[in-house]
Amino acid sequence: MKHESPKTAHTSEVVVDVRACTKIYHQGEASIHAVDNVSLSVRRGEFTVLVGPSGSGKTTLLNLIGALDAPDKGTLAIEGRDLGALSRSQLALLRRDRIGFVFQAYNLIPVLSAAENTEFVLALQGQPPTKRRARALDVLKAVGLEGYQARRPNQLSGGQQQRVAIARAIAPSPAIVLADEPTANVDSETGERLLDLMEALNRNEHATFLFSTHDPRVVARAKRIITMKDGRVVADTTVPPDAHQGPPAPC
Amino acid sequence: MILTLAWRNVWRNSRRTLINVVSIALGVWLTVTSVGLADYSYRQMIDDSARMGLGHVTIQPIDYLDAPSLKKTIAETATRQESIAAHRQTRAAATRITGQAMFASASRSIGGSFLAIDPKQESRDINIFLRSLVEGEAFTNSEVRAVLVGEVLAKNLKLSVGRKLILTAVDRHGEVVSELFRVCGIFRTGVVEIDGRMAVIPIERARQMLHYAPDEATMISVFVDDYRNADVVRDLLATVIPRDAASVLTWRQTQPELASLSDVDRGMNYLFLFLLGLLIAAGVLNTSLMSVLERRHEFGIMMAIGTRPGQLSAMILIEAASMGFVGLLAGAILCVPWAYYLIAVGLDMSSVMGEDYTAANVLIDPIWHITLYPGRMFAIAAMLFTLTLIAALYPAFTAARARPIESLRDAA
Ligand SMILES: Nc1ncnc2c1ncn2[C@@H]1O[C@H](COP(=O)(O)OP(=O)(O)O)[C@@H](O)[C@H]1O
Ligand SMILES: [Mg+2]
Repeated sequence: MKHESPKTAHTSEVVVDVRACTKIYHQGEASIHAVDNVSLSVRRGEFTVLVGPSGSGKTTLLNLIGALDAPDKGTLAIEGRDLGALSRSQLALLRRDRIGFVFQAYNLIPVLSAAENTEFVLALQGQPPTKRRARALDVLKAVGLEGYQARRPNQLSGGQQQRVAIARAIAPSPAIVLADEPTANVDSETGERLLDLMEALNRNEHATFLFSTHDPRVVARAKRIITMKDGRVVADTTVPPDAHQGPPAPC
Repeated sequence: MILTLAWRNVWRNSRRTLINVVSIALGVWLTVTSVGLADYSYRQMIDDSARMGLGHVTIQPIDYLDAPSLKKTIAETATRQESIAAHRQTRAAATRITGQAMFASASRSIGGSFLAIDPKQESRDINIFLRSLVEGEAFTNSEVRAVLVGEVLAKNLKLSVGRKLILTAVDRHGEVVSELFRVCGIFRTGVVEIDGRMAVIPIERARQMLHYAPDEATMISVFVDDYRNADVVRDLLATVIPRDAASVLTWRQTQPELASLSDVDRGMNYLFLFLLGLLIAAGVLNTSLMSVLERRHEFGIMMAIGTRPGQLSAMILIEAASMGFVGLLAGAILCVPWAYYLIAVGLDMSSVMGEDYTAANVLIDPIWHITLYPGRMFAIAAMLFTLTLIAALYPAFTAARARPIESLRDAA
């Protein structure tokens, strides 16, 4: 499934390519340009934040990139595959195999344990039980939930639930993890922990992250910041590696 | 994974699930009881009616059914009766003669019918008159001038055991013939029409009186263990008996009114059960649909991370199937002691039904038992299970139709 172009280096390979995308919502007479002529690309290994006030179009853009919604204008490609050319079930397979999702809250299936939630996508992929369970336990360990594998979501704190959601998102080694305000429903301390975790996963597991937030503390940790306003990208800045307090990324 | 998920989802709202499980279990219980009671009463009625003369399958002269007459006979009864009785598929066979007669005593005369039987071929098992003797004894010799009369007939003719009766009939040549008999026994079937019109005489005596050959009779009554096999046995006998020698008919053909009574009754029963099934299915539909609507956000997440719509539908159907299965299991557990009680002891309904309740000239036993046919039980289970699945089709479709994006926004 992995799509690697021989010409580009691993870190500079384009994973997400958005070209002149517009998404319009109609509400009665009015039409809202939730995403307005946005173009951007995300390369493998990036740790990018999407910021902007509430209603600026972050969720809408993430939904377009995540193949959950289709743009009214423009094109989108994930690892070079044009989403507009794929059928509904092909899109479902693409989401299953190449995209990880972390939503704001209630990410998990309540009747499944942490380990079962983590291996859910692997099960959908048809991986054998022992193999997928081993992977799930590895990933749970990586998100700091070793020993919690048998707990149901209602036996976990909000932060722990988000960790399981992150574990589930990275378990199939997707091309990109999309996270829509993953820290919005937890306290700031827990939010910091989740960010530490995602940073570490970005560093150690080479997971590519694109997440939205309007928390300035989160913004401070990003390597690249895309700012949105009224559906448009108004700024796109890459932070030089030495600007971070943390240790530099190995790449 | 989908299986595990479905099974756990079923017990998520255990109260709602239990309501459905209980309703399915009660449905099984009601269905098994009503079908069991009905099957028992049909069997009872049909078997009793067969014992009154005709058997489950009747070999009789061609056209006899349309215009019965003592002039119409079948031949070679001895060898035929013997081979039929010995057949694996039959329980018994008896050569009999039946016809109209006039009964006269010293005080008065009454019209009725007689049944001539060979005591060697008969038993209480296949003959209701032998079974319901209340006075005297049956004759054991087929040539004696002895007669068994119904209780009401005996009363009306002012007869008792040991008294004389003159039986007058039309013989095979159309001549009026009479014979003197002595009452040796009195029977009470409980059906007034039978007890007031019927007399049973030895077959050899009847042959002599009617000028029949030693091998002639008006019918061979064939009995089977299970009346539902009558058709099979009829077809079987029809291949052995030449078409121009006699006709072979089942109880359905010889007693159409009994057949239609049980058919109409069974039809009503099935209609009632179908409505009951719909009621249960409505409960399942409600539960399933509610659970789907409550889980819109969850389904949105599942679809977003790559669950295909068909897998969601399958999950909903498996949920309903699990509920149906548990319900059937609970119903079966409920039914075992109940069915055992009804088969072994029965329900005494005499206080409700009164003393002699008859339908289509057959006495109904006031103690209600049930008959459970495995095939029928399986059909009931299959029907309830299928209805449960059908009820879940729409919720399953609803779940699959949901678009992840809308489902996600819904509950956010
Ligand atoms: N389903 C919808 N129908 C109508 N308008 C919508 C819908 N979803 C989003 N919008 C509008 O689109 C704009 C962008 O919304 P959104 O992408 O959710 O912004 P953000 O995530 O940055 O808060 C807002 O004005 C919002 O009201
Ligand atoms: Mg948003």
